[in-house]
Amino acid sequence: KMDFSQYNDAERAHLQRIIEMKQMRDFMKFYTNLVERCFNDCISDFTSKTLTSKEETCITRCTDKFLKHNERVGQRFGELNQQPMQQQQMPSPQPPQQSGGSSWFGR
Amino acid sequence: MSFYPFGGGGGSQQTINQQNVALAEQELEMITDTFYRIVNSCYQKCIPPKYLEGELNKGESVCIDRCVSKFFEVNQKIGEALQKKGQQTVGGAAGFQ
Repeated sequence: KMDFSQYNDAERAHLQRIIEMKQMRDFMKFYTNLVERCFNDCISDFTSKTLTSKEETCITRCTDKFLKHNERVGQRFGELNQQPMQQQQMPSPQPPQQSGGSSWFGR
Repeated sequence: MSFYPFGGGGGSQQTINQQNVALAEQELEMITDTFYRIVNSCYQKCIPPKYLEGELNKGESVCIDRCVSKFFEVNQKIGEALQKKGQQTVGGAAGFQ
């Protein structure tokens, strides 16, 4: 189980920077992934070059839905990650989450 | 709240154990990668792309919970199987000497 007390201050600062950069990259990936997903799911009418109101509504709902889904998965993931080591092969700290979830340093 | 490394450097000079840090980084990568795989897989399996509303309905919510749980179980089983395979290979190699 990852334990941040094993790292000295310099290492922790180093890891902190890595985590911040990773969170930025992951957010970009999340964003572009979501755009592609909702585009593929919602847009198929090419009789016009602007979105129809139906398509706009779909995009809004798609975005909301995916964000809620992501949040829920994050909650379940966090819970399951807390379980003792013998029940899982993966090491346990919680992942950085997009929506205000726990972070590596338990902030 | 800093402590000095055993090398006895000056106050602000702390060494970074590259290996430890690299391991931590790898672990982080693996966990977040798994997380995103779960998000994508479970979305595919649980959420039909109909978008009648922006909320998750009860069925979808329950499906997500179960999906995450099963994914973890699959992850664990495969991890165990691979570990066992690894041990067998080592044992087998030793046996053939």
